[in-house]
Amino acid sequence: MSKVFTVAFREFIEVVKTKTFLFSSVFMPLLIVGLMYATQWVSELAEDEAQPVRRIAVIDESGQVMPVLQERLIPYAEENPTRPLEFIPAETGEAESLSQQIRDGQLYAYIRILAGVLDGSAGCEIARGDAQLQMGRRIEALVSEAVKSVRIQQAGLDAALIARLQTPPAFRRIDAKTGDETTGNEIAQFMTPFAFMFLLFMGTMSISQGLLTSLIEEKSSRVVEVLLSAVSPLQLLAGKIVGMVAVGLLLLSIWGVLGYVGAQARDVGYLITPFRLTQMVLYFIPGFLLYSAMLAGIGSACNTIKDAQSLASPLTILTIVPMMLWWYISENPQSVFSIVLSFIPPITPFVMVLRICADPETPLWQLILTQGLLWASVFIAIWAAAKIFRVGVLMYGKPPNLFELIRWLRLA
Amino acid sequence: MIPLAARWGSGGGLTCWEWPRREQNLIATANRNALSLTGITKRYGSFTAVDDFSLHMPPGEILGFLGRNGAGKTTTIRMIMSIIYPDAGSIEVLGHPRAIDVKDQIGYLPEERGLYPKMTVEQTLHYFGRLKGMTRERIRAAIPRGLERVELQDWLKKPVEALSKGMQQKLQFVVTVLHEPKLVILDEPFSGLDVMNTEVLKNLMFDMKQAGATVIFSTHQIDQAQRLCDRLVVINRGRKLVEGRVDEVRARYASRVITLSGSGDFGSLRGLPGVGPGEFTDHSARFELAEDRDPQQFLQDALARVQVTRFEVQQPSLSEIFVRMVSEDDARQGDAA
Repeated sequence: MSKVFTVAFREFIEVVKTKTFLFSSVFMPLLIVGLMYATQWVSELAEDEAQPVRRIAVIDESGQVMPVLQERLIPYAEENPTRPLEFIPAETGEAESLSQQIRDGQLYAYIRILAGVLDGSAGCEIARGDAQLQMGRRIEALVSEAVKSVRIQQAGLDAALIARLQTPPAFRRIDAKTGDETTGNEIAQFMTPFAFMFLLFMGTMSISQGLLTSLIEEKSSRVVEVLLSAVSPLQLLAGKIVGMVAVGLLLLSIWGVLGYVGAQARDVGYLITPFRLTQMVLYFIPGFLLYSAMLAGIGSACNTIKDAQSLASPLTILTIVPMMLWWYISENPQSVFSIVLSFIPPITPFVMVLRICADPETPLWQLILTQGLLWASVFIAIWAAAKIFRVGVLMYGKPPNLFELIRWLRLA
Repeated sequence: MIPLAARWGSGGGLTCWEWPRREQNLIATANRNALSLTGITKRYGSFTAVDDFSLHMPPGEILGFLGRNGAGKTTTIRMIMSIIYPDAGSIEVLGHPRAIDVKDQIGYLPEERGLYPKMTVEQTLHYFGRLKGMTRERIRAAIPRGLERVELQDWLKKPVEALSKGMQQKLQFVVTVLHEPKLVILDEPFSGLDVMNTEVLKNLMFDMKQAGATVIFSTHQIDQAQRLCDRLVVINRGRKLVEGRVDEVRARYASRVITLSGSGDFGSLRGLPGVGPGEFTDHSARFELAEDRDPQQFLQDALARVQVTRFEVQQPSLSEIFVRMVSEDDARQGDAA
């Protein structure tokens, strides 16, 4: 057993002291968080930048909306000082020439308010030269507010009273588990399952790379058989896997701490619950063991990183499945499809972490069964990897295909 | 068991490896072979790499394991080391059924060998020492002795990749024997070594034998074996051709080798009665003479064809015996096929 730990310790140190590890463990999460803040900052900066007046021609066929629209420009200008607008009255027959003016850049847009707009039998038209989402929404909101205001006036009602009556009630959001008030950051809440799964995904990818690199290096520098003079193939394999799982744990701890600090700073620390963390570690350990064993088998059979990566590509493709389906799974954690996906061992950890984070009420039998299945596959994978390892590790030359690997299982 | 406290000492000129004597140990294991292979067979699909191979090796000797490339030497050694398992037959290493159980008492230098290029010499020795079950204190004590013996003491803190190829090979050897093994298995130890390092390695092998260790080395360079080993075993196409003490084997194949030189057409000597296979040039010939042919009579016949300035009757070298054995075996196998 001490030999296994000697091998594991070397593996651990060799990976941890590399620049790649430093980059992926510390700089990578910092970079992601930094980018998130940076995009927000840049968009806020852009909002503050003053833009020229946008001229908009208005064909008011109802004959009553235009004056109200002009009135509405005053509060709009106060709220959006950097996005000034100007409404210019126009006549019905001018649509063609207005379009030309838009194309020439003299106008930003034209709006046609149809005659039946006040009784709801017709609508409005807006023609623009660009596709800026925010601006389009702002203009449409201005026009529809003006139309509603005219309708209320015509009905002889008090516009201020109606506005007051329609004020939506404020919600206090409380986490039923903790009794704490949540800050209502729903985006953060919605993204939490993804964040947990992404952590697992990044960890798995990093250790896979580390394991393949170390195996290929040992094979190409011909050190493998020297190692086998002192340890058995199974001890060597076990040492490598234990070392890599330790690397994965360290990686997760670093990211976990950074994530927790970040979440606290953004007042969403309540999202990182002990339950979620426990479940994550419970799925992390068999998950990493399973990937390490499968990749050790593959890596031992190959002589170059390129060969190993192409042989491992079916596995890589499989890990992308939960990445692609994370939205669906976290929105529908108890759907039949999500449950079925939980029982496919290589992706079980990812799917279960998504589901548990999205809905803590995942049935106990599913937790037990997925854990059981996962651990059973870990033992099968280690058994198979040990067999392939024994044959592959001393084999040089053309890498085998998947069918040959299966044949090796019988050979060893 | 008596602990092996090997000591490195300076013995005038070249430092020499002073292995502790293990007479008591030898007495204890005198009745037991260091290595016993009984009918081991290894197949890869339809190809039989090793076929019903048996070998019984007494302790404290040097065994040469001879065979040309692809004869089955490395496969046999890997089976001894429990790296691969035989399909049939049994193995006993230092009294244990599996080498895994006694790996810490075996030093193995594989044919395909290398070290971690980024590790320093010291880290390398520490790592492999730990893997061979040595304590940190024992490793610390053994490193200076080991490196001094191969004149690498100044390279302790250097990464392995900074060492020349020859130095790396010497370091490989220190890695193999740092833990003072009872059984040393060297697969093609001389391949790629220069003359100086070959001598260093040979001295080390003799020293280990002196200290009571059993040494097995495989080679296809027969001349190396002749000078080094007490016993030899020849393998061809996975099967054992011969096994025994070197002098016994030479005696068993005792035919006479005639060497003669001078001038004339030496190739014409091939036609004379009793002349076996050999080398014939314009000025000389070296070949085996049939047992029933009198060398003096042959010389008289030869003088009728060429001018002889030198004539010698010798025992065949191991190399010649080897070539003859393998050629005869190949011919038999060819006939059988």
